[in-house]
Amino acid sequence: MIEVETLVKTYEDVPAVDGVSFSVDEGEIFAFLGPNGAGKSTMVQMLTTLVRPTAGSARVNGYDVVKQEKEVRLSIGVALQETGIDKVLTGRELLVLQGRLFKMTKQEAEQRAEELLRVVSLTDAADRRSGTYSGGMRRRLDLALTLVHRPTVLFLDEPTTGLDPASRIEIWNEVRRLNREFGTTIFLTTQYLEEADELADRIAIIHHGKLISEGTAEELKRLVGGETIAMTFHNDEEAATAARLFGHAATGANVTFELRDYTLMEVIRLLDDRALQPERLTVKQPSLDDVFLKVTGESYEGGVPNVD
Amino acid sequence: MWTETWLFTKRSLVTTIRNPFSFIPNLIISVFFLLVYTSGLSSIASLPQFDGSAYLNFILPVSIVSGAVGGAGGTGQALVRDIESGYFARLLLTPATRTAIVLGPMIAGMLQLFVQTLLIFAVAFMLGLDIPVGLPGFLFTVLLALGFGLGFAGYSVGVALKTRNAQAAQAGTLLFFPLIFLSTTFVPKELIEAEWLKVAATLNPTTYIFEGMRAVLTQPTIDWGALSAGLAVAGAMSVIMVVFAATNARGALKQK
Repeated sequence: MIEVETLVKTYEDVPAVDGVSFSVDEGEIFAFLGPNGAGKSTMVQMLTTLVRPTAGSARVNGYDVVKQEKEVRLSIGVALQETGIDKVLTGRELLVLQGRLFKMTKQEAEQRAEELLRVVSLTDAADRRSGTYSGGMRRRLDLALTLVHRPTVLFLDEPTTGLDPASRIEIWNEVRRLNREFGTTIFLTTQYLEEADELADRIAIIHHGKLISEGTAEELKRLVGGETIAMTFHNDEEAATAARLFGHAATGANVTFELRDYTLMEVIRLLDDRALQPERLTVKQPSLDDVFLKVTGESYEGGVPNVD
Repeated sequence: MWTETWLFTKRSLVTTIRNPFSFIPNLIISVFFLLVYTSGLSSIASLPQFDGSAYLNFILPVSIVSGAVGGAGGTGQALVRDIESGYFARLLLTPATRTAIVLGPMIAGMLQLFVQTLLIFAVAFMLGLDIPVGLPGFLFTVLLALGFGLGFAGYSVGVALKTRNAQAAQAGTLLFFPLIFLSTTFVPKELIEAEWLKVAATLNPTTYIFEGMRAVLTQPTIDWGALSAGLAVAGAMSVIMVVFAATNARGALKQK
């Protein structure tokens, strides 16, 4: 669906995207994860024909993004980071015009507008100027505009940046639904680790214009290591005994180690055999934060969802 | 491509009508020019260089052209608004051609100019305008206004796309002053004293528009030479500026 080969974009000799290759399969949700300024938006702009690559090549839906711009544009839906809405027109007017620009007849466009207004729950606000909409409503209208021509590949550039948690979950659900019900392939960029983890089948970590690592969330986390188990015992003595069982040392009443040689069940069974009962036991998955730190050598910044 | 152009035109018209303050001040200024200059200067038309034409007929083109230039500048500003709201990027992502995207607002701008020119004419008729050659005088004047307006709309759209900045697009309309006033604005060329102003007036394309309009408004018979020169300038300006605007449409979404 999307094939990218050593794509490069430089602005005044500074590479924004620096030789990135990857591919996205049909029906996949693929996330481009990275902090601000990593090159995510530039990648979206190149794949959606808005910006011409400096070098390399990319195909979307089998069409070359440089040589077959029009075919690419007909087959994709794009929601850029900033919503693209004319405040003076009503939601319905915008949707109908969008349909007409994608070669629908007037009747088709009107019918499709009605349908989408219902999908994004804007039927009541349909005939109000979009300038009167709230941030969440605008984002929903923007998504509806993106879907007018039933694209098979969807590009979402930071779809939830600046949204409150409730609107964020709404958008997530919509993205999942599109993917599940229509098999829409989705390429999204995000600076939120949580979002990539939650939504994407596969994640590519991009940093300073380079693709650092790629895989499913599980695969990426495995790069850092397995799950960690942490137990707290009633006293130091018990903790020390327990730690020895697994070939580790205790820190005070705490025992922490990576679940590599034993499964969780084995740990519990071994403790039970010795009648050792931890006061507290938690198993922690490595987070994408840990992954980012491991693969880039820098801690992740800008990953906290905030309203800006 | 024509369906798209029409869709964009219609959309621009709707936006303009819902933003009345985008065109009303400009219209008021044009009518104000007409009233002030006619009332204040009409006696100089008794000079022989005016060939017996009424000053109202002589100054009418200034009012119409200044309205056209001011109105056309609004087209560029509307586009800057689209770029700033992100709507322009959405349009670039549709299969619509770039030409249609910039041509639509320009045609809408022309239609706006057309209505505006009719209104100025209406005021002039109320002031007692009498066109010696009759209807052709009116039609050719409107045609020249539209051609020049399209050219200027193209210019303002091109500047808007190049700079993507409302202030710059606004500054672009500063050209209004030299264009309107470094010309045979108030008197025929023979009456201009300063040599530099004569040179400027000869180089200024607006002069040919003024002269073209006067060729059909002030004389008992049409001066075809001056009229064709005016039409040629208007035609050339619109073609050049539409191309200028269209070539800038693509560069309009580089990373900020």
